[in-house]
Amino acid sequence: MIGFDAILNSFAAALHYESIAIILGGVLLGYIVGVIPGLNRAVAIAIAIPLTFYMSAYAAIAFLIGLSKGTAAGSAVSAILLNTPGEPSSAATCLDGYPMASSGKPRKALKVGLLASVIGDLLATLLLIAVAIPFASVALKFGPYELAAILIFALVFIAGMAGGSFLKGLAAGGMGVILGTVGLDPETGAMRLTFGFAELMEGVPILPLVIGTLALAEMFVQLDEYRRNKDASVIKLGKNADDDLSYQEFKGTLPTIFKSTGVGAFVGALPGLGPSVGAFMAYGLAKRSAKDPDSFGKGNPNGIAAAEASDNAVIPASYIPLFGLGIPGSVSAALLVGAFMIHGIQVGPLMLRDHPEMLFTLFSGMIVASLLMLAVGWYGLRIFARVTSVPPHIVISVVIFLCLAGIQVQGYGTFGLVTVFVFAIFGYFLKKFDYSFVTFLVAFIVTPMLEMNLRQSVILSGGEFSILLERPIALAFVVFTVLMVLHLGWTSYRRWMQARHKAKQV
Amino acid sequence: MTDMPRKNFWSGLGVAALAVMLLTWIIPTYGGSGFAFGMQPQRLATLGAWLILGCSIVLTVVSAIALKRRGESIVATPDLGHLWHQAWPFLYVLGFIVLIDRFPLTWVAPLLIGGLLLLLGERRWYVVVLTAAIPTAGLYGLTAHLMRIGVV
Repeated sequence: MIGFDAILNSFAAALHYESIAIILGGVLLGYIVGVIPGLNRAVAIAIAIPLTFYMSAYAAIAFLIGLSKGTAAGSAVSAILLNTPGEPSSAATCLDGYPMASSGKPRKALKVGLLASVIGDLLATLLLIAVAIPFASVALKFGPYELAAILIFALVFIAGMAGGSFLKGLAAGGMGVILGTVGLDPETGAMRLTFGFAELMEGVPILPLVIGTLALAEMFVQLDEYRRNKDASVIKLGKNADDDLSYQEFKGTLPTIFKSTGVGAFVGALPGLGPSVGAFMAYGLAKRSAKDPDSFGKGNPNGIAAAEASDNAVIPASYIPLFGLGIPGSVSAALLVGAFMIHGIQVGPLMLRDHPEMLFTLFSGMIVASLLMLAVGWYGLRIFARVTSVPPHIVISVVIFLCLAGIQVQGYGTFGLVTVFVFAIFGYFLKKFDYSFVTFLVAFIVTPMLEMNLRQSVILSGGEFSILLERPIALAFVVFTVLMVLHLGWTSYRRWMQARHKAKQV
Repeated sequence: MTDMPRKNFWSGLGVAALAVMLLTWIIPTYGGSGFAFGMQPQRLATLGAWLILGCSIVLTVVSAIALKRRGESIVATPDLGHLWHQAWPFLYVLGFIVLIDRFPLTWVAPLLIGGLLLLLGERRWYVVVLTAAIPTAGLYGLTAHLMRIGVV
C-alpha cells in the first residue's frame, strides 16, 4: 500500500507548473466547449483524445478530467444567458437562471452557478478520494466469479437506469457486447468478426468508434435541428452594481448547495443515471424544501445553486465505480477508460496495486482542476458570455473537420475514416431511435474484461453452477441481477398498462 | 399524438433482422472457431445477438399492439424533403472522405469547412475565409510539428 510520503509526492507532482498548465488547458477548453450550445462533454472528450496521444499518461488523463469538469461548469453560462443548456444536464439551470438573467441580474446568476459548481465538484472529488480507495482495496480481493457477476449486474443496471426503454437499453448493450468481442480470441487466437481486416485484429479501434458515434453523429443531429432553431438571443452582461453577488446572498444558497451535492454524489455513484437526473432531482428537492417554492422558476438563486451543485457533483462521483471496480458509469467515464487503454493502463482496482502514485496524482489533479475551474470561471465571465454568441453553423463545420482530422492525424488512414463514418451512421441511429448510448459504450468497453472473467470462471468451475453457492458475493450479484430484470420488466409492463388505460379513457 | 410506437416498431424490426443475420450468418461464418477449455470464441457474441433478438422482438410486438389499439397505420410515408435534409450531411461528409483519401487533408479542409458554411447560409466572405483558414492552419502546424519530432 502507498505510504504517506508517496501521497505527498503525488500532490507535489499535481502542483508542478507543467501539471497545472495541462489541467488549466483542459479546464479552459472544457469551459469554452461547455459554453457553446450543442457541443457537449462527450463530444469534447472524443475530439480531445487524439490531442492526448503524445502526452504522458498522467498528463493525458489530467487534461481530459479538466476538460470534463470545465464543460460541466461552462454549460451553465449558455443556460443562464441563452436559455439553451450547453449540456442536457444544465436544462434545470435554465429554469431559474434565465429568468434571473432576464430580470437584469445575469452576473449574479452566473456567479451563483459558478460557486455552486465549484463547491459541488470539490466536495464530490473529496468523497471520491475517500470512498474509491477502500472500495478498490476490497475489490482487489474479488475473483473472476465476483467480477463477472458484478459486471453483468452493472450492465443490466445501466440499461435500466440510463433512461428510455429498458428493452432498447438491453439491445444497445447487446450491440456493445458483440462489437467488444471483435478481434483475436485471447484463448484460441481465432479471428473474430474481423472480415479479413488486419486493422480489426486488436478489436474495433476505440478512437474512430467514439468520434463517429459521439461527435460526428451528434453534429449530424445538430444539423438536423439547426434549420428549426436558427435564432436565439443572448443576454449581455452589464455593469450594474446591483448585479453583483453579495456574501449574504451567497451564504443563503450554501445549505442548498450542500444538500444538492449530496444528491449529485449519490446519483453519480450509481452507474448509468447521469447528471441530468441528478440536477433535476436536486432542483425538485430544493423546491420542495424551500419556504417559498412559488419563487422557483422565476429567478430564485437556490434553483440555480441546486441544479449546478448536483450537476457538477455527479461527474467526480461517477468515477467511484470506475476507480473502485473498473466499471465506467457514464459516457465520460467510459471515454476515460478508452484514454487509459490507449496509454496502456488498466483502470479499476488494479490501479491501486499497479500504479498507486498515478492514482493519487490524478486525485490531486482533480482537486487542482476544481480550484482552477473557479479561477477560470470567475475571471473569464465576460469572455465566456461572448462565446455564447458563436453561431452554431460555424461550430458544426469546424467540429466535423476536427472529427476527420483527429482520425487522419492518428494515422488510421482510409480504414479509420470509413470506420468513423460507419459509426456516425450507427450513432445517429442510436440517438434518433432513442437507444441507450451509454449502455452501448459501457458494454463495448467492459466486454473484454467480462469475457476474460467469464472464461476464467467457466474453466475454474468446470461448468458447475453450484460453485456459486461457495461464492456469496457472486451469488448475491446474480440474485440482484435477476431481481433487477424482474423489477424493470414489471415496471415497464405497468407503465404500458397505464398508457393503455389512459388511451382507452381518451 | 407521439410517433414513438411507430419508430419503435420499425427500429425493433430492423434490429431484429440484424440479430437474425448475426445469428444465422455473420457469427457462424466470421465469429471464429477452435478448441477452447473455457468459452468458445463465438459464445459471448452469440449471447449478445440472442439478447438483441429477444429485446427487439418484444419491442416490435409491443409497439405493433400499441399502434393497433390507437388505430394508427404501421406505415407512414416519410416526407421526402425531411429525408433529404437528414441525408445530405452524410453524403457531404462521405464525399469529402473520398477526397481525403486522394488528397492531403490540409488541401481539402478549407473546401470542407467553407462549403458547409455556404450550404448552411453563411454569406459573409470574411467569416467563411477565417473559419476555413484558422483550423486548416492549426492542422498544418500540428502536422508539421509531428513530422519534425518524427511521430508521423
